Amino acid sequence: MEVLNDFYRVAENPYEYSRELKKSGKRIIGYFCSYTPEEIISASGVHPIRLFGTGGDITLADSHLQPYCCSLVRGALEEALEGRLDFLDGTVFPHTCDSIQRLSDIWRLNTNFGFFADVVLPVKLNTESSREYFADILKKFRLDLERGLGVTITDDKLKTAITRYNNIRRSLKALYEMHSKEPGILSGRDLWAVTRASMIMERDDLLVKLSLLKEALKKGGRSGKSEGKKRLVLAGSVCDHPNVYTIIEDSGGVVVWDDLCTGSRYFEGTIEENGNPVESIAARYAERLVCPAKHLSNTARGDNIVRIVKKHDAGGVVFLLLKFCDPHDFDYPYMKEFLDRENIPSMLLEVEDSLPSEAQLKTRFETFIHML
Amino acid sequence: MITAGVDIGSITAKAAVIVDGEVKGTRVDFTGYNAEQAGRRVLDELLKELGMDAQSIDRVVSTGYGRNSVKFADKAITEIICHGTGAHFLNPQVRSIIDVGGQDSKAMVVDSEGRVRDFAMNDKCAAGTGRFLEVMARALEVDLGDFGAKSLKSERPSKISSICTVFAESEVISLISKGEKRENIIAGIHDSVASRISALAKRIGVGEPLMMTGGVAKNMGVVKALENRLKMSIEVLESAQVNGAIGAAVMAARL
Amino acid sequence: MAGEAQEKEKRKMKSAKKMRDIMTNYYIEAKTAGETGKKVAWITSGGPVEPLIAMDVIPVYPENHGAMIGASKMGGELCERAEELGYSGDICSYARSDIGCSLVDGGPIGGLPKPDMLICCNNICGTVLKWYEVQARYYDIPLFIFDTPFCHTEYADEAKKYVRKQIDEYTGFLEGVCGKKFDHDRIKEVGRLSVEGQQLWQEVLDTAMNKPSPMTCFDAFFFLALIVTLRGTQETIDFYRDLLEEMRGRVAEGISAIPNERYRLLWDNLPIWYRIKWLSEKFASHDACLVADTYTSAWCGSLKYMDENNFLDSMAEGYTRIYLNIGVDEMIKIVLEMVDKYDVDGFVMHSNRSCKPYSLGQYDIQRAVQREKGIPSLIIESHMVDERSFSESQTETRIDAFMEMIRQKK
Repeated sequence: MEVLNDFYRVAENPYEYSRELKKSGKRIIGYFCSYTPEEIISASGVHPIRLFGTGGDITLADSHLQPYCCSLVRGALEEALEGRLDFLDGTVFPHTCDSIQRLSDIWRLNTNFGFFADVVLPVKLNTESSREYFADILKKFRLDLERGLGVTITDDKLKTAITRYNNIRRSLKALYEMHSKEPGILSGRDLWAVTRASMIMERDDLLVKLSLLKEALKKGGRSGKSEGKKRLVLAGSVCDHPNVYTIIEDSGGVVVWDDLCTGSRYFEGTIEENGNPVESIAARYAERLVCPAKHLSNTARGDNIVRIVKKHDAGGVVFLLLKFCDPHDFDYPYMKEFLDRENIPSMLLEVEDSLPSEAQLKTRFETFIHML
Repeated sequence: MITAGVDIGSITAKAAVIVDGEVKGTRVDFTGYNAEQAGRRVLDELLKELGMDAQSIDRVVSTGYGRNSVKFADKAITEIICHGTGAHFLNPQVRSIIDVGGQDSKAMVVDSEGRVRDFAMNDKCAAGTGRFLEVMARALEVDLGDFGAKSLKSERPSKISSICTVFAESEVISLISKGEKRENIIAGIHDSVASRISALAKRIGVGEPLMMTGGVAKNMGVVKALENRLKMSIEVLESAQVNGAIGAAVMAARL
Repeated sequence: MAGEAQEKEKRKMKSAKKMRDIMTNYYIEAKTAGETGKKVAWITSGGPVEPLIAMDVIPVYPENHGAMIGASKMGGELCERAEELGYSGDICSYARSDIGCSLVDGGPIGGLPKPDMLICCNNICGTVLKWYEVQARYYDIPLFIFDTPFCHTEYADEAKKYVRKQIDEYTGFLEGVCGKKFDHDRIKEVGRLSVEGQQLWQEVLDTAMNKPSPMTCFDAFFFLALIVTLRGTQETIDFYRDLLEEMRGRVAEGISAIPNERYRLLWDNLPIWYRIKWLSEKFASHDACLVADTYTSAWCGSLKYMDENNFLDSMAEGYTRIYLNIGVDEMIKIVLEMVDKYDVDGFVMHSNRSCKPYSLGQYDIQRAVQREKGIPSLIIESHMVDERSFSESQTETRIDAFMEMIRQKK
């Protein structure tokens, strides 16, 4: 499957890819968090790419952020201060957690990438006024973009962007479903590369590649064996560690679905194509699978993880939590309790920018998979 | 049937031989640099002691950190599973096991068949492991082997409040300079270790009968502090340190 | 020795006992709410409490309770209870000790009265949202979220509209839970009392501008309890009037908070509740008085947005634009103003592992203060009520070195 190489190339070298894209004349805006209304950025003609932490050492960011701030936030700032994001024409910060909130301030005061916007989204999503505010704040963001970038974002452009993103989300979901049905067609690492690249690659090009991949999978894909492997669900914030998938597979398991910001939370839920475009976009973000930094109900995430496990016939859940990530740390005990109640085993793995030693990881995964 | 279990830990390598469901012998050695060699050596030495030769062993299971380096093993199984199996083999009533070794601590809950139902492991931090005790022994200039006996003499354990090993070490040093009795400080250190382990254990709901395994189980001070924290009694067998190897040998018989 | 005892007696705050009595009565009333038929609401420290008071609901503050737990050095133990349930030791220690306390009814007052409702305002952090969700599940009671969009650089019109609407939703929520109509006349009165209480609190804090200062921030941490828990009542106003009088009296008589005030310092972030006495003695031994802080002034810092004649409407802005809900550059401005206002020689920052919105950004604030004002600063790290994360020897060394720097400069 040659098309996979394209995804890997982008997922593993996002900056190199972005620089090339920039040379072709594209303007690029970096963003954090899957609540960023990418559709509006895309409709402005500017290319949105998602920013992750760093794979390297964190030194410059240490003079702005304490060590008890998560490695994603510290790593992202490191990349900016190190000058590795020199291809950016701007950055967008949707309101998520306390750490990203302060990162926005520090970023605004210490970097200069041109366009800058905070999109201060509502924290609760279950009331009429919060949804109205959601739409209002996206309308404001549209104006901010128009003013800041000197462009006009017409309703038609928004509608085109909505269709584009609906297609991307449907394709990603279809791939996940094919993989859940027959995990042997793709490795977990492959699927990681595809979803990650989807947040970076030029989106029309991405759609072409996604359909090529779908065709290749219909023909059997990697045709690996998955009989006897224990089916698992991965839950947490972002997964920046493709090795996790490989170690799980080496230990006799396979991740068949996830509840990740860089996974199903990114692609679940499509946008109504016939309504007022900005209001429809707001509605999708308010209704999508909720992140722990937002409030939909007191039990939304617990109910959801149980639903995912049942729907995908999984035997257990691996919680992959980023150390110092408060919202997820608060949700973990009750989500585990919900799973326990259904006799669904789960295990917790806390990670930072680097994984624990492979030996320790294998011990945990092998034990867990043996247990199932 | 004759089976062997080899447990390669971060500091020591252990071996056990089981003949027709009975433990024939066990042995402990240092691991050193080469895990594969350590496994070979500890088992060979044990076989020599028992007057057996390698050919007579039907199957071998390796466990512990170095389990995958033991190439002569028929299968590698994690030490969590093996400790569960070993504890159940030695006392079928056991429902929970706490295993504290040099670099990690683990808690397990097993069912009536000895199968692990849930487990938890310490994170990267050294608090609540044998390493924490080693650091403190160095600061106190007391042999780690004397820790248990000394702490049992304590009348008023000192309070070590920091979780962090580095901060706790400086607390210990300041207690020394204040002239606090060593046994009180050691008892305080044991309580600090016990508080971390009990938090881990309670998270997965350990219950009685509860067994403690691993090298740190030899330290009666930690065991006692843990009993106080958990309000449960803890069974420690002579074989605590080789429990994982015994479990591995039992698993080998089931392959 | 006799002289020393006399000296100590002179410096003692006479109002302290009165405040303890008021707080004791308050907690007794709250804990016996079941007998009087009054409803109890748990509310976040920065939350809009006035509508509760207007509806005769007893507001209870888990954060104030957390402070008491910390001051009684019971935080570590209660945090451990929460950790046994699977809560990470990295999350807010107020939240951990409160969650632990709910399970065992422990702590200095045997636990808080069971709530009938929860009011969560996220103007102080996102943590309270998660914390109150935990309690809403545990007690199975209604939760009202008062969502105050963060003001990085502005208080946008969109946010203004949204917050104002939520005030009506809030009063509607209270009508539902309490089963009676919201009293629009009473809220005007409560609002007026609230504004007056905040003004008086600001005046109390302002007395620290005197040299030597009649009070330290450690005193402010103590006297803060009323403006947090009972703002909007006459009792609070009466108390702060007396306290203000006491402070002015001390100034007139030349009674200083510490024996030899030679250096004046500014404190940032929440207190280290289990080390208040130790810290105040430590600094006093260096002749340093922590005269002011960014924390206690947060309960009167948005007075400029409040209009006592139009309380409900103005409250929206007042509660949204509090100190912790603004950008780092806005915080820098406020800190710089305080450096001048209280004429301080140094800046002590508590890097609080329990509070990310307060602590992340401190390094930038520190640099701005050094650049603009040229005064030394010190960073002390802890979890505000979890004593297990504190290193006494490390902190002591840092304080000593910091004070040496200040001495050399002056």
